[in-house]
Amino acid sequence: MMSAVGWLIVAIIVLVVAVVIFVIARRRRRGGGVIATRGKR
Amino acid sequence: MKLLMTASQIRGLPVVTVREGEDVAEVRDVIYDPEAGRLVGLSLNQRGFLAGRRREVLPAESIHAIGQDALMVLDESSLVAPADAPDDVAHPATERNVVGDDVLTEGGTSLGKVTDLVLLVGSTGDVVGYQVDKAGGGQGYIPLPAQLAISGVALVVPNITEDFVEDDLVGLGAAVDEFRARLGLS
Amino acid sequence: MSESFRQAIGRKVVSRASANELGSVRQLLVDAQQRRIAAVVIGRGKKAQLVEWEQLSGFGPDAVMVVDEGALRPPADDRERNGVDGNLDLLGKRALSERGNELGKIDDVTFDTDTGALEDLVIGDRRVPAGALLGSGSYAAVLDKSQEV
Repeated sequence: MMSAVGWLIVAIIVLVVAVVIFVIARRRRRGGGVIATRGKR
Repeated sequence: MKLLMTASQIRGLPVVTVREGEDVAEVRDVIYDPEAGRLVGLSLNQRGFLAGRRREVLPAESIHAIGQDALMVLDESSLVAPADAPDDVAHPATERNVVGDDVLTEGGTSLGKVTDLVLLVGSTGDVVGYQVDKAGGGQGYIPLPAQLAISGVALVVPNITEDFVEDDLVGLGAAVDEFRARLGLS
Repeated sequence: MSESFRQAIGRKVVSRASANELGSVRQLLVDAQQRRIAAVVIGRGKKAQLVEWEQLSGFGPDAVMVVDEGALRPPADDRERNGVDGNLDLLGKRALSERGNELGKIDDVTFDTDTGALEDLVIGDRRVPAGALLGSGSYAAVLDKSQEV
């Protein structure tokens, strides 16, 4: 089995990956906001 | 006395079908036509915390009602493929975000910069006012006529709008009818 | 006779033909368009079964009588499976007006024990006629705009 430090590193990597997935998924949902069409006629 | 909500409050609302009682999507972007004074449509996300974008869009004609807790459509066929939707709904110009645009009276006075739209609760997308960061500082709400002129990056409003800058949505709700009566509109 | 869903939950279900007890009422599944009870759910999880309203010979105050044991069946399609899993249960369902405003949660539903027709929806201290129900699903029961407070 790994040392305690080894497990700590694994835990940190898992946490970082989870945060990255979370941030990417939330950014994909954000969209442009309130958009005005202009000069289209 | 009108019940009002902002376009930002609409973003993220569930889109619910009247006939099926299902939350079929979530509101992503609110697309607005300043000349018509109305929403033209909405883009959508899928429901779910990390779910992505939904391909279908919702033209304003298919909105049954916009409420404080949900945006109602009759059934899922109200959500259409971009190819079947009007072009300004299917491909909104996302760089033309109205937030940040200057509001000018016809006489050339700046009333502030737009921070949000104000809509009538229960309607299908009538925009009755703007939320602005006032030129002198602080937040205000101004009523809009049914239609207004736009040019470049400024939105032009009638001169008497200057008399109707309100402090909150409740004040705006009370002001809209009087404002429109003063303009001679219904 | 008029009864409510909460009164009926837990009542024993008995076969008229054999007099055997088949289980107890776990959930009442509703047809929102017709505003009537469509089926009675007995048991839970993988063992859940349902009996269509037409297969009941009586909905009594002490027992629900089923024509015979053959009337019990597992869910036949996705909608019935969804129903049996509790996602379509009117009890506790969010009540949403067709204008998009939440009206509360459905605390109870009254119905006619002879026909299975829904009578009233109890939302907080209000009683809403079942005729106001426009549709119901996993997210909400949608009510006619006349029910806006």
